[in-house]
Formats: sequence, structure tokens, C-alpha cells
Amino acid sequence: MSMRLPSHHPQDELLFGYASGELREIKALLVATHLAYCPSCRARVAVFEAQCGAWFDEAPAASTDGPLDTLLERLHGQLGAVPPVFVPPPGPRPAAVDGVPEPLRSWLDGPMQERAWTDVSPGVWVSEWTRAAGGSSVCLLRMGPGAPVPAHRHTATEILLVLQGAFHDEYGRFVLGDVIGYEAGSDHHATGDESGECICLFLLDGEIVFLDEPAPTA
Amino acid sequence: MSAAPSFDDLILAVARRRDRAAFDALYRHFAPKIVAYVLKLGSDRSAAEELVQDVMLTLWLRAETFDPAQASAATWMFTIVRNRRIDRLRREARPAPDPHDPAMAALPPPSPEEEAQVALDGRFVRDAIKNLSPEQTEALRLSYFEEKSHSEIAEERRIPLGTVKTRLRAALAQLRRSVKERA
Repeated sequence: MSMRLPSHHPQDELLFGYASGELREIKALLVATHLAYCPSCRARVAVFEAQCGAWFDEAPAASTDGPLDTLLERLHGQLGAVPPVFVPPPGPRPAAVDGVPEPLRSWLDGPMQERAWTDVSPGVWVSEWTRAAGGSSVCLLRMGPGAPVPAHRHTATEILLVLQGAFHDEYGRFVLGDVIGYEAGSDHHATGDESGECICLFLLDGEIVFLDEPAPTA
Repeated sequence: MSAAPSFDDLILAVARRRDRAAFDALYRHFAPKIVAYVLKLGSDRSAAEELVQDVMLTLWLRAETFDPAQASAATWMFTIVRNRRIDRLRREARPAPDPHDPAMAALPPPSPEEEAQVALDGRFVRDAIKNLSPEQTEALRLSYFEEKSHSEIAEERRIPLGTVKTRLRAALAQLRRSVKERA
């Protein structure tokens, strides 16, 4: 068995929430990008979606429903107005310059190489690109070869998804497509692999405080 | 559910012939379920009816994308309802992987052994869901499908908050165990 598929996966809380639609946008972005790398989690999400489909179908049908009959008549008028067959064009798509898969690529503001970075500590940067919604935020975390991320404290969950290279900490070594979550208040010391740069999607549910370091300027 | 295969056929009839009778039958089955789903999630009746209209038009236009080998009619309908609701009512994007994405295609394809393992994992987790207790299944449904907080579930079911958390934890642990068993 090859070791190239991800071996660290999002927890089922996230996969089920993604399948049901309960998960908010930013976390869904991280989960969906992991799915691009991970056939095993795609299969798992399909099973959870099937469960939600069964729950959806369990709802008792309303007996006689006047407003819904009116709505159906209105729909009949609209069906003729739309093109009879919709074929989504598979068309050529831009080559993936830096290998970041969808959906994340469309959310980034350009290729990885042309990115603007803010210093965190020697050999460690965060991207100026950031997105926030529904209580979570994401940016990119970049570790130079062998560079340790300074000790930091976070008030809520932190999740990393490896997009390039690899890093390790006291919990293991993480490679392309791996997802690792850290509980609020936990402590960990990530260090980029010696062999090259490591870039991760870096999701936070709350504030992050780097200890003994000047706060990064925006 | 002996009627289930016929909904597959109805969607395929819309895809192949824009069959209006099939569309009406699908509407009569699914429209009330869409309303029930959206009302449970806290929207009002008029938002629910707008969503019915949106979803049924999406079905009319996108029926070709239904693949009965991939999902049942109800599951396929659920994913449309879920996505359109996130877009229209929550006003958020629904990020999803793109199977035509060259970056995804460039990733190493799974070996035949890995493919078999993935199929096996799917079967394990399907069995694990079937073997949950009714209380555990309900905890998952309320938490993920109806998007209720732990305290809302406790209040609604008149059970202690700790019991809600225990049931959810046990349900998720059983799903997780279904993966560990393969290793």
C-alpha cells in the first residue's frame, strides 16, 4: 500500500457537519480541500450524506397543501422559460500552477509563489491573505526548512491542512493533504521538515497569541 | 421503501425527456419534505417556498447530473436542498472539491488495494451507523441534520445536557472505531 494518500483525517464531527451542511463556510473550505486529496474521506462523506438523505426523506409529506399547489402552477410557467437541456461545459481550465486543488485555489488571490507574507519569527510567516466568517478564520502558515513555529496559545480550536512539504510536532509527522486539529488551550511545537518549505492552511476558531514574540503587523 | 427506485426513474425521465408528469410526481413527493426541512432549521414559510421553487428549478435544469449508481434520489435531492439553502438562506458559499480540477487529477491515484480499502471503509461506516442505538442516531440527527446545539437538544428532549454529550460522543466513537478496525 502506498503511503501517499493522507493518513491524518478531519474528525467525523467535521465530516458529518460538512455532509449535513451544518458546518460553516470556513471550516467547510478546509474539509472540502482535504477531500480533494483523500478518497477515503470522500467515501465517508458520501455515507454521511446518504444518512442525511434518509432523514430528509423521512419527513412526512403534507396531506393537501394549497400553497404548494399554487407554487407548482407557477413553476410550470417557468419550466418552459428555461433552456430545455443544461449541459455544464467541461471546458479547459487553468493549469494548477502551484498544485493547490479546488476549492481552495479559487479562494486564494493568486499563486503561492507571488504571495505577500508577514514575518512571525525567523523562517516562519503567515499570509496577508486571510478569510473569516462564522467565527473561524483561515490564512496560510509557511515554515522554512527546519524552522520552528514559536510557542503560541490559542483560545479555541486550531486546524492545519498541509498544502506543500511536511512538518512535525510532538503528535507526529504530517504530509500533503493531512489534517491535524488542536484543542483550545493545548500546546504544540510545529517544525518544518529540513527537506524544504512547508505551507499549511491554518484555521483558527479564535484569537491566537504568540508568546514572547512581537505581535505580527498586519 | 419499495417506491424508492421509481424516484430514480422519475429523475432520469426529467433528464432524458424533460418529462413534466415525472417532474410533477417528484414535486409532490419532495416539495413538502423541503418545506419541513427548512422550517425545522428555523426559516419561515415564505423562505421555505422560495427554496422549493429554487430547488425544483435546479432539478429541472440539472437532472443530467443525477447518477443512481452514486446516490439515491432522496440523497441527491438532499444535497441540492442543502446547497441551495446554504446559498440562499445562509448566504454563504458551499466549498466543494471539483473532480475536473487538474490539480486534483494530478494527485497520485489510489492503488487498486487502496481503492478496495476505501470501499471497505465505506461499508464499515455504513454498518456502524446502522448499529447505533436509536438514541445515538437521534443525537446525530438533531445535532448535524437539524443543527441544534447540545443545550437545545437537552431542552427539547428533556434529558440532562451530560446525556446529550455522552450519546453524541458514543455515536462518533463508534463511527471512528469502524475505521480503526480496518488498520
